[in-house]
Amino acid sequence: MQRNNFIERSLAGALSFLRESIFADEYALKKGLLQSLDSRVKAATFLVFIIQALLIKQAVLLFCLYAFCLLLARLSNIRLGFFLQRTWIFMPLFSLFIALPALFSIFTPGEALLSFKIAGIQLIITRQGLGGAFLFIMRVITCVSFVVLLSITTRHFTLLKVLRTFKVPQVFVMTAGMSYRYIYLFVGIIENTYLALKSRIGTRIHRRKGQHLVAWNIAYLWQRSYHLNEDVYKAMLSRGYSGEPVVADDFKIKARDLLWICVVFMVFISVLYLNYRMKI
Amino acid sequence: MDNFIFELKDVYFSYLGKYPALCGLDIGIKAGEKVAVIGANGSGKSTLLHMLDGLIFPDKGTIKAFGEELKEGLFNEESFTRSFRKKVGLVFQNSDIQLFCPTVKEDITFGPLQLGVGREEVEKRLLSLADILGIAGLLDRSPHQLSIGEKRKVAIASTLAIDPEVIILDEPTAGLDPLTSRHIIDFLIEANLSGKTIITSTQDLHIVEEIADKIYVFNAEKKIIKSGLASEILLDTEFLRENNLIHIHRHKHRDTIHTHPHHHLDHHQ
Repeated sequence: MQRNNFIERSLAGALSFLRESIFADEYALKKGLLQSLDSRVKAATFLVFIIQALLIKQAVLLFCLYAFCLLLARLSNIRLGFFLQRTWIFMPLFSLFIALPALFSIFTPGEALLSFKIAGIQLIITRQGLGGAFLFIMRVITCVSFVVLLSITTRHFTLLKVLRTFKVPQVFVMTAGMSYRYIYLFVGIIENTYLALKSRIGTRIHRRKGQHLVAWNIAYLWQRSYHLNEDVYKAMLSRGYSGEPVVADDFKIKARDLLWICVVFMVFISVLYLNYRMKI
Repeated sequence: MDNFIFELKDVYFSYLGKYPALCGLDIGIKAGEKVAVIGANGSGKSTLLHMLDGLIFPDKGTIKAFGEELKEGLFNEESFTRSFRKKVGLVFQNSDIQLFCPTVKEDITFGPLQLGVGREEVEKRLLSLADILGIAGLLDRSPHQLSIGEKRKVAIASTLAIDPEVIILDEPTAGLDPLTSRHIIDFLIEANLSGKTIITSTQDLHIVEEIADKIYVFNAEKKIIKSGLASEILLDTEFLRENNLIHIHRHKHRDTIHTHPHHHLDHHQ
């Protein structure tokens, strides 16, 4: 029974992930500190934090910066449980597999902390290795947390518009925006196609038949997207598009943004100073 | 001499050079007219509207707009393209095609911004249209979050934001609830009274008399089979039935079942 529902479960899982990750504006629409800031200012200052996290050599300072990020999340009315889950889920992918070998003396020689044997091979965890791995993990989690915090407190299309401020070509930003717009349309088509299939032949589909249907649907979707591409281009031409899109920016910098810039500047300078002092 | 804004002479068009879509059309549309194009599915109505909007061009025959023959090469000239697009606006049949921006606001302002309208004027048009069409509350929403009726209104707003002299609409009331349809029809009548030329393709015969003085009827051979005053053609039930525009409707009144052609016109008589 479980195997028979494989396609249904995969589809439902993929579609619900898309909905939650791409289209969830729930936190971006809440009232909170980061939501009230100008998106350009927010993106630029978060970039400053990320660069700082990459340059800091002291694990304690990185930990402080991470704690500051969590504080910002809380002040933006984001549930810490949700936020930690969202950020730590990426850790095995981004860092664990890199950090793990660095623990051992083979890659990081130094003062031995712990030694043990696996399959007759002597493995030694060194103090330097542990310190390096901890610093690496802290660095990655701090950077990931700032990126996730920026993305969940800003509506996605606004984030795309912010790219324009950083001189990303307009055509690229517009194409990304259109992709965002049409993913939803295709998600709807996939869902409806599956429901139509289910209503006619039920969920008990033979594996081979299921594979055939999925392959056919991918081809059909490709065909649809190709036609859509042509039609959308016609719709753009019809409204005066001539190769270089013109768009209006409606960003406004308020007193609150200036205050935020001052706070960021102070945090930046303090962390920079402490990093320098701790090295001496 | 007739003052035509669109003049088509013996126009032929086919897709991929082998699927005929328009065969030998002769059409003349004057400024300020209300024109409807009616016909069964696949009779070439949408193709004609795309041609009037300068998106496709005849394989044979000529199409003139504002006295100038429309040819693909002409649209490479920026000054011509800009002037033509400012004058002619098309509302597509599928609103999902027309609404390609991430938000409603960006969709409505897209056209005028491309055509060099000043930012203040664009903002003014945006607010005015949002108010008239009752979509002010949708401006920051994404088009995928809207209902079909809301999408249609936004699509109309995105074309009208250009403030074109000619408004072309492809099946503007298809699939809409009666109230939204009424809203759109009233809006088109108002637009025509203010001097706009309205060209509509539709299969809803009950709205034709209101949105058109003159109609062109297409048949399955992609030809214009009849044209003339809406009030005259709509009374020719035999002709409409032959061309799949009305059907024999069998229904019950109390205890009696009776049959008659069904075209909704009686409601307005």
